[in-house]
Amino acid sequence: MHRVAGIDVGSAITKAVVISDSAGQASVIGRGSARTGVDLEKAAAEALAGAAAGAGLQRAAVEYVATTGFGRYSVSFRDLQVTEITSGARGARHLFPHATAVLDVGSQCTRAIALTETGKVRGFKTNDKCAAGSGSFIVRAAKYLQVDLNDVGEIALRAGSSQPISSICAVLAESEIINHVSAGVAVEDILSGIYDSLADRAAMLLKRAGMGQELVLIGGVARQKAMLRALESRLKVPVSVPADCEYVCALGAALLGLKRLTAQAGSGALKPALSI
Amino acid sequence: MGSTQTKAVIMGATGGGTPRLVARALVDTGANVQKAAEHGFAVACKEAGISAEAVNFVVGTGYGRYKITFGNAQMTEITCHARGAAFLCPGTRTVIDMGGQDSKAISIGAQGEVLDFVMNDKCAAGTGRFLANAADVMGIGLDEVGPLSLKGKQPVKITTVCTVFVESDILSYLALGKKPEDILNGVHLAIARRTVSLARRVPIEPQITMTGGVARNLGMVRALEQVLGATLQVSTEAHFTGAIGAALFALEKTEQGSESHIGSSAHA
Repeated sequence: MHRVAGIDVGSAITKAVVISDSAGQASVIGRGSARTGVDLEKAAAEALAGAAAGAGLQRAAVEYVATTGFGRYSVSFRDLQVTEITSGARGARHLFPHATAVLDVGSQCTRAIALTETGKVRGFKTNDKCAAGSGSFIVRAAKYLQVDLNDVGEIALRAGSSQPISSICAVLAESEIINHVSAGVAVEDILSGIYDSLADRAAMLLKRAGMGQELVLIGGVARQKAMLRALESRLKVPVSVPADCEYVCALGAALLGLKRLTAQAGSGALKPALSI
Repeated sequence: MGSTQTKAVIMGATGGGTPRLVARALVDTGANVQKAAEHGFAVACKEAGISAEAVNFVVGTGYGRYKITFGNAQMTEITCHARGAAFLCPGTRTVIDMGGQDSKAISIGAQGEVLDFVMNDKCAAGTGRFLANAADVMGIGLDEVGPLSLKGKQPVKITTVCTVFVESDILSYLALGKKPEDILNGVHLAIARRTVSLARRVPIEPQITMTGGVARNLGMVRALEQVLGATLQVSTEAHFTGAIGAALFALEKTEQGSESHIGSSAHA
């Protein structure tokens, strides 16, 4: 039985999972997270320690570490790194075997990934030029509106009518939001308008990447039901959200790590020592 | 009426002479644009030592110009910046205006008339908002970012101009131990490159004049000059260029006699 970790070093939060395989079946046995901050290696170690503890393991019992996310190269104790496109696709497809596309709404980047029938990445589109349509748009809006980030999604669901937000720039939208507040527009209507804006951008990316009939929504924003509702009303296809939507890329990395480890073990190659 | 700050000026001229800047006011626009307009106008009148009634003609400009209920006319900020720049820096053919929340390049003719313009109001790159955000992240005042950036010798590489992304770039560079001046130098150059590529869509002809609140940031002026390979004219009144242009149009209206009561003693 192997125990492999996947660590997703995201721009805001670092997520780690430990998986184990028994009888050819891989399953998550521990999760951990840490605020990424500026010391990426430290965040990765902290998240991994959390995941190992969650699995009831010593850190040394984790045989192999695969990293993903923007900070994947900054983790010196990694054995393998994969892009967040590959890991997101792998993780989502593991949880939803019929997924045709994955939408990953992260803190700084939104990615639309189209999958082949066998679950390989067929193509992807990302908004890597600017923060429009990314989770940071919501984070900033919540700050201006003085709403707890954990509540924004629920509050937006109570909207009577969405207040359209015309600025796609996360920074310029701030003044627009303030103007709406001072004009007496309800906070829930403004928040709902922000999810509409995000969903519009995401739908555009999905259309360009190619989508198919079964979309999986992952990333921290997936936890917010308002995002799911805004997306479904635009895309007219059912959207699935995994229970641990924040950990899908970490899971994907771990699965790819496990595959590599198994292949190495099968070929008799020695695993390089962990460089901690 | 800018998105961030409201600028009001009072100008006067006696007997067709050169217009003079009598008073100026700078107030934050905030959420209530109409109130900011009234406040800015009142401060300018007080500064000039005259009553509001003594002002013959009021021209409003900027994005909030239609909220100036007491105004006699409205004109676009493009027209007013062109007119104001030609007045402050005679011979101007290109205006680069960097305001609180947008940036523009205006190509102007010999008489200060607008020939063409391009504008970025879609994103905060190249605006005062961008710099205010960078200052916040660095934990320094907005007035300090420009001078500090000038001390940079080895500008860091900044590949994005998104305000939100640059924020994390700055944090990463700080964590890597880069000097604040080198980080800011890189940030200013990135924004200058972006602004110049926007401006190149109108023909950039000398002389080039910079206007708007960001013109007060010497670091941005120098970064633009470096990218342009040309010198920029910057008036000490650059921040008020739009308002000055609007006031010049207002003076023209009074000279044409469209208003009869003249508060000439106050203007003398």
